[in-house]
Amino acid sequence: MSQSRITRLLMISPDSMVTPEQLVRNVQTMAANVSVKETCYGCLVECDADTMKIVMEKVRSEYRNEVFSKVRGYPAGDPRRCRAQHGTRPGFAQLEAEWECLPLIQSALDAFDAGDNDYVVPAEKKPLPVKELKEISEAYR
Amino acid sequence: MKIFIDPPNSMILFDLVERFGHEPLSSMALIQEKVDNIEVDMPPMNVTLDDVVKGLKYAGVEVPSGIRGRLAIWGPMIEAADAAIIIDNPPFSFGCVGCDRSNELAKYRIKRRGIPVLTIEYPTNEEEAKTMVGQIKDFLGGLKE
Repeated sequence: MSQSRITRLLMISPDSMVTPEQLVRNVQTMAANVSVKETCYGCLVECDADTMKIVMEKVRSEYRNEVFSKVRGYPAGDPRRCRAQHGTRPGFAQLEAEWECLPLIQSALDAFDAGDNDYVVPAEKKPLPVKELKEISEAYR
Repeated sequence: MKIFIDPPNSMILFDLVERFGHEPLSSMALIQEKVDNIEVDMPPMNVTLDDVVKGLKYAGVEVPSGIRGRLAIWGPMIEAADAAIIIDNPPFSFGCVGCDRSNELAKYRIKRRGIPVLTIEYPTNEEEAKTMVGQIKDFLGGLKE
């Protein structure tokens, strides 16, 4: 991966009280030479790899389970993707689906942080043996 | 360790893998490489002829070029991965919905590699979300170099 330009997408969980504006103002003060673009779901952050490490450490410590992040392929405001310039936005359905799921993930992470490490292990799915299938079929004959 | 995530563009999986101290392998990083290093214009030009040829390693010549194009990006990631996390039964708009055959082939390649794989259900309530996060946490914690 290119080290000269890293773009990351920061998304605020719907359960958080943080607004995109607050997040942008805070991220801008975290390191020098950081470019931040406010979006409806959070913000896009762009800088070199070393600066990004510093920014992400600070974001993780300040907004531990409230802000989620991933790398973005295209630069912020890229005319091929930015809707302000009528670019396509093919990943938005995915972002919307994940945004809806974030409160669940946030509450789970909060529970683990609080020391509640118990969870229900789902039963392992196994294919039905032919013998059992035959028995079921014969029972309803 | 390098963890392949399926769907490869999932933010939740990317974030959780990174949170628990591993390197997620995502399609975004490879797309960034293409955006920065080669001239990629509009979406139909995202897949180059070289990609389609590369994809022949992972899908036969009779397979549509779209699938081969996707596998040209995902295939090398699966080969580089030390483990994989797959989300099962996600809603329609979650993940790469373009072609389910690509997703099937990606899962097949993961299975063929024989690397540790965690298959988890997409959560619909708090309890399921806790199970999902707990399983990922324990799976990643149990991986050894």
